[in-house]
Amino acid sequence: MAAPLTLLLVLAVTIRAALFRSSLAELIAERVEVVSPITAWKRVVEGLALLDLGVSPYSGDVFHETPLIIYLFHFVVDYAEITFMLADVITAVALYMAVKDYNKQVFRKQKFALEADRYPLDCLELIRSPKEIYLLNPFTILSCVAKSTCGLNNAVVALFIFSTIKGNTLLSAIFLCLATYQSIYPLTLCAPAMLYLMQRQYIPVNFRRASFWWFIAQYLFMYLGSLFVLICLSFFLLGSWDYMPSVYGFILSVPDLTPNIGLFWYFFAEMFEHFRLFFLCVFQINVFFYTIPLSVKLKEHPVFLIFMQLAVISIFKSYPTVGDIALYMAFLPVWSHLYRFLRNTFLVSCVLLACSTLFPVLWHLWIYAGSANSNFYYAITLLFNVAQILLVSDYFYAFLRREHHLTYGLYLKRKDGSEATLVLK
Amino acid sequence: QEFSCQIWGIFFLKKTFKGNLRNYWNFLPEGFINTQLFTRFLSRISQDSAGQFFSSGHTNNWAVLVCTSRFWFNYRHVANTLSVYRSVKRLGIPDSHIVLMLADDMACNHRNPKPATVFSHKNMELNVYGDDVEVDYRGYEVTVENFLRVLTGRLPPSTPRSKRLLSDDRSNILIYLTGHGGNGFLKFQDSEEISNVELADAFEQMWQKRRYNELLFIIDTCQGASMYERFYSPNLMALASSQVGEDSLSHQPDLAIGVHLMDRYTFYLLEFLEDIHPASKANMNDLFKVCPKSQCVSTPGHRTDLFLRDPGSVLITDFFGSVRKVEITTEAIDLTDPIKEVEERPANGDVHKEMHSYVDQLPVSEIIHQKPKQKDWHPPDGFILGLWTLILLVFFQTYGVKHLRHIF
Repeated sequence: MAAPLTLLLVLAVTIRAALFRSSLAELIAERVEVVSPITAWKRVVEGLALLDLGVSPYSGDVFHETPLIIYLFHFVVDYAEITFMLADVITAVALYMAVKDYNKQVFRKQKFALEADRYPLDCLELIRSPKEIYLLNPFTILSCVAKSTCGLNNAVVALFIFSTIKGNTLLSAIFLCLATYQSIYPLTLCAPAMLYLMQRQYIPVNFRRASFWWFIAQYLFMYLGSLFVLICLSFFLLGSWDYMPSVYGFILSVPDLTPNIGLFWYFFAEMFEHFRLFFLCVFQINVFFYTIPLSVKLKEHPVFLIFMQLAVISIFKSYPTVGDIALYMAFLPVWSHLYRFLRNTFLVSCVLLACSTLFPVLWHLWIYAGSANSNFYYAITLLFNVAQILLVSDYFYAFLRREHHLTYGLYLKRKDGSEATLVLK
Repeated sequence: QEFSCQIWGIFFLKKTFKGNLRNYWNFLPEGFINTQLFTRFLSRISQDSAGQFFSSGHTNNWAVLVCTSRFWFNYRHVANTLSVYRSVKRLGIPDSHIVLMLADDMACNHRNPKPATVFSHKNMELNVYGDDVEVDYRGYEVTVENFLRVLTGRLPPSTPRSKRLLSDDRSNILIYLTGHGGNGFLKFQDSEEISNVELADAFEQMWQKRRYNELLFIIDTCQGASMYERFYSPNLMALASSQVGEDSLSHQPDLAIGVHLMDRYTFYLLEFLEDIHPASKANMNDLFKVCPKSQCVSTPGHRTDLFLRDPGSVLITDFFGSVRKVEITTEAIDLTDPIKEVEERPANGDVHKEMHSYVDQLPVSEIIHQKPKQKDWHPPDGFILGLWTLILLVFFQTYGVKHLRHIF
């Protein structure tokens, strides 16, 4: 399906170019929902300017990007718009090809399973590809026009997903390492990547098998090795370890409490100092906490696990932006066959739409008109995140239900033949 | 003859003891000027009347006129203050010696049907806001803090002269306050108050800093007498429009403008002052009689126990006017020798001019001209090398060259 892809790419690039040229670009670039202290373009420019003046960009609280971003933008700062459009294009293409590959594998599996007569006939659906959703998602477009480096993060994660689905262990490890290097949270994607690669190589996921541990060791070696190499390389860029507290310390300890669409800022703004570390740990662990239970439950379905992990990361990370949301939303068409099992589509879509429109309204009321306060904005943030969580859990439920139906048939019958209902416990 | 002249002199001294020197001249018959006796007589008169010259003790007059209320319906307070301003100015105090504080602008208020005017009589008889009204503190500058700073003189160095009360120990100051008040306080700007204790302390500060010779304090608010209850400094005389527990009432509403134009006390005060001219001999006892209860409904009060002179001997113009005492003399005054110009002649012929300039503490010119050229930052070569080597390694490990055609 290359032709629609190119058409779509052209359309997306046109939209972005048009928005870049308009006056909306500055407006969007300032919005806190789209840019965060980690990803703001303004800060990148500031950091590069500081570098040109001979000062380390990490001095002061301005610049929180990794040195590789410095390196990249040192050369392309004049062509930033093209870079970000290219990043979006790469993401879309990578996701498209990844899902195409995944489709092939799923079909193959389903065919085998059909032949092995394990699946009832009425559960086959077509899996659609995510390219439209990603490219034309208003969140993505906003993120691109704001030149938020989230676009680059998304590109790296998309490449990671692509390389994982292709089965290339080394590339997957390297891209995951790059993603982790950018922001710490993709660390949790290690688990689904390993699961998928093991599945692909037919290594059974069994704690007692040596091959399991061997594979894990291999993967982790590659991952940690490349991480080590990257960190040392970053040291050599500027000759100092300044970037570690500035980037990773910043992400983990959340000193900047600018409002965003995440959950951290309000809590930490009103917290007493001697509880701060405790709650920081609680909030950060919350991101990583779901990995193990989810991977235990979804060990047969690592791609869905990737989706869930991405969603959990973008909801619970310290400085989320709409770009992160756009990434996991790009996966929704992949599970479009779950639509019939979703229970809360109306609610979730209404809430998401309403909150997206209310964000700028309440921001204006709070900051400019002065007739609202931070509680209003945080309420919408909370609601938005609740809607996202509801979306994700809804998909989880639908997925599990479909799996159940695949095993036990679509129309459930009790032992005595009457119709049964399925209850999620 | 000398004896009779002396008696005549004494007679004149007695007669002129209570008047000013100008009135003295009215008594002199003409043609008496050129005798030597008269010259001696005059010099003795002038010596003795020099004492009389300074009998009232003050050499200059100041007025601090404050209106403390804002909003259109408090039009009358602005009109009050402007009426007193008008009288005071008419009787001679110049704008440089008047500190006028108006908390709101009624003349240019958009509810004023006659813009640029502030009327003080019904039927718009008297416009007290003319072309030459100089408001020193306006709008939100009229605060308790600013008022107290004006009185005590503790103003920041950047305050202009027009906003300062530059009185000395020979100044007679008139202080007129109007607005909304209560028992012991006066409301400023609808948001803060000055208490009678603060005011008394401010006057004490003024006394200790010798900022006044005599001070007349007039207040036209509800329960105004409470404001002067706490005074304890000498040479203060106070008048108020109502006693404690009484309200000062406004005079008349004007149906064209829609608000009350003046308060009763100040209305009758203005009427009284309109009859005063700079040569008037009216004294304070007449002022105390202004606006009796029949006209004012409230009982005006006054306080003179702190005042050293007898109020009957204090002229209205001692406070409301700036009557300068003029002594005309026919004596010639010998100025001292002209100031010699000191001309410096240099030892040698040519004038040695040294250009004095500040020492260059910062070699600015060197800094500007010799700023090192900004070098753009470049990533170190080792980094670039390392990075691209790694990238190429990975690339070729993943896609061996022969696999390239599977991708594209």
